[in-house]
Amino acid sequence: MGRFWAVFFVASAVIAVGLCWVAPSHGLWFPGTLKGGFGAGVAHSSIGKRIDDLFYLVLVIVAVTYIGTHAVLGYVLWRGATIKAEEKVLFSHGSHSLEVIWTIVPSGILLYIALYQMDVWAAYRFKEFSPKKAEAVAEVTARQFEWRIRYPARGKTLMPTPQPDDVYTVNELHVPTGRPVSISLKTEDVQHAFFVPELRIKQDAVPGLTIPVWFDVDEPRQYEMVCAELCGWGHYKMKARLIAVSDEDFGAWKDKAALEQFDDGFKKPAE
Amino acid sequence: MASRLISINSFAQTVTKMSCLRSPYRLAASASQRNFCCLAVGIAVLLSGCGPGPKAEFSLRDATGELIPAAQKVVKKTLDEKFGTPQNLVAWQRFPVNYGGVQGSVADVSKDGVTANFESDLPAIHKDAPLLWLSGPRAGAKTSVDSVATFDTTTKQLKWAGSAEPAPAAGDKFVIGYGGNLQTGRVVYMKNCMHCHGVAGDGAGPTAQYLNPLPRDYRLGLFKFTSTLTPEKPTRDDLTRVVQHGIPGTYMPSFRWLGDKETTAVVEYIRWLSMRGEFEKRIDDDLSNDYSAVAMEASAKKANEAYQSAMKTAKKEDRPEKPKTANQLTKAALDEFSKYEKDDLPGVINDTATLLAESWKKGEEADSLIVPTVARVTDNEASRERGKRLYLSDKGKCYTCHGVQGRGDGVATEDFWKKPGSDEYYSHRGLHDTWGRPLQPRNLTLGQYRGGRRPVDVFRRIYAGIKGTPMPGFGRTALKDEEIWDIVNYVMSLQFQSTPTKSIVTDHATASK
Repeated sequence: MGRFWAVFFVASAVIAVGLCWVAPSHGLWFPGTLKGGFGAGVAHSSIGKRIDDLFYLVLVIVAVTYIGTHAVLGYVLWRGATIKAEEKVLFSHGSHSLEVIWTIVPSGILLYIALYQMDVWAAYRFKEFSPKKAEAVAEVTARQFEWRIRYPARGKTLMPTPQPDDVYTVNELHVPTGRPVSISLKTEDVQHAFFVPELRIKQDAVPGLTIPVWFDVDEPRQYEMVCAELCGWGHYKMKARLIAVSDEDFGAWKDKAALEQFDDGFKKPAE
Repeated sequence: MASRLISINSFAQTVTKMSCLRSPYRLAASASQRNFCCLAVGIAVLLSGCGPGPKAEFSLRDATGELIPAAQKVVKKTLDEKFGTPQNLVAWQRFPVNYGGVQGSVADVSKDGVTANFESDLPAIHKDAPLLWLSGPRAGAKTSVDSVATFDTTTKQLKWAGSAEPAPAAGDKFVIGYGGNLQTGRVVYMKNCMHCHGVAGDGAGPTAQYLNPLPRDYRLGLFKFTSTLTPEKPTRDDLTRVVQHGIPGTYMPSFRWLGDKETTAVVEYIRWLSMRGEFEKRIDDDLSNDYSAVAMEASAKKANEAYQSAMKTAKKEDRPEKPKTANQLTKAALDEFSKYEKDDLPGVINDTATLLAESWKKGEEADSLIVPTVARVTDNEASRERGKRLYLSDKGKCYTCHGVQGRGDGVATEDFWKKPGSDEYYSHRGLHDTWGRPLQPRNLTLGQYRGGRRPVDVFRRIYAGIKGTPMPGFGRTALKDEEIWDIVNYVMSLQFQSTPTKSIVTDHATASK
């Protein structure tokens, strides 16, 4: 039975590593554009790419540790199962130096991760762009179960309260690409979370608060935008689109949307 | 076109599951059995709520349930025959519903099939798709609808499963995949709408009881936010708009993320559900005059009471005749009904369907659409001032419901109102809609536009009113289009006025003089 467990633990580790190894090539990794249609999805915002880097760093550390501990575990189990009766057994329990090593090494690793990631966190929260410094493009109000969005008129800045010339959309957030922009996130009822997986941006919307969220989008196209906080029975319906377009197209879109919104339905009779 | 019924078989039966945790298991007291019981309870808890839920079915209206059993049976039979069940929809061609499918015509007839022409770009045609002939010798076959056996995309050679005779001729028209729209619509509806609006579109889905305002009951054929004149049905565009944009201030969310195909299909399905519901209602209305069991019971009871009190006072010689009991009345009605069913009912069904189909067709006509005859009056102080005066005048009387300051707290919300067509009062203060539910006039200072925030939307609300609510239409009668625009300008500015600029109450006093 001892040999079975040794094989079992080593085999499970091998299978787990193997699955992780092939996952990217099957599109079972991150959302985002696959590198040349193959491999892991790449984030579409600058902060998203740095968050991915952090993930890969942690992944490497975890992978080395995981493989190492499982190799040792497999060896120990196998050795214990196959040991002969006359062989002398080594007792390491209570070894002071071993205790010191496996306390200090993981602490060192954790401390390293804790310090290393601070830069990315600081960059996202205040260092590079305070979300208040980035141009506010829209106010996004979550409610059960949709996103209602208010934009300032073209050439104007977003005001905290609705203005007569504001432009409105629902479940479609239009943003310009290539520069940092921010949204004011609010909720009308319960907690929701604004999540754009391909940008790696996720922020809870908390009742009573207006939370600025900044991001930049590198490629003009449509992205999925979902609610990432279970907000009620219709949570699954709370899907929307983030539509990123170039600066010129963004202006043109806003003009068109405003024209449609202020439509008075009057048609000049043909002469 | 003849009144044909095409049965659409279900390919994806969406049965809804209402999971509920039941706990019918009681722990046994005996210690020896405790372990076993714990295990059993554990498994039972894990499994409860699993398994298929109740089968989806179109529930009947309450009014149908009040009819005498024979009439109930006939209504149910008629509905099943003309509209089918959620699992097996029936397309009644009388109604202006785009049931879906690809239209084509026969270009050439060969030995074992035909070469087809299609009106649009070549669509995807699947094996076993139903094939319906619209003209030629195969059309009007009451037996079964043909289905596609093979279709060659390059040669456009089409073969069908089923009898070869009678052979179609060149020029004969057909539809492939008839009813596809309705089927897609059903799937989309069951996934996204049924929760609140109910299987039959009765606004009584499982979540409906938690919502305020309640979800729309389509079965009256009434939709609030439309672009059509007061008596007309909504257009497809109106319903699409509501599906895509949602209704702020209510629980109706936006379904913008549905694809175009799904949106079109679900709108068609909702129209069909509404037609089905209103058809049932109209038949009910017709039958309930003479064949309502509840009404008969009530009238028998009333007559009996009158008889009893008359007996107490009347002299022996002029005693009134004993009135018929409810049983006797029902029996008489039953005899009469079998005759009515044979002689009159087919005509009634026919007329009802014709009227209903006409009304939905009319809604789509250009004449029904409200188009302002003048462009929006420039939105300035002067226009808003005129709008305000109209708002407070006896011509507009907006303030009676919406309040002097537009907060939806007019005097009408304080009154008790009579139920329409009766002397009975509603138990609650304030206004009620046609569905009999309490209703608040809109608070115009919130900037929340349920029917859309385009000026033309607000114009249409004032012009034609809101269907099914006490909001009346002012267009063509009380107000000119320019005046409506003034009110639109005033009403849309209310959101941005934090405090009334002048003493609005004094203005009110002068305006109503």
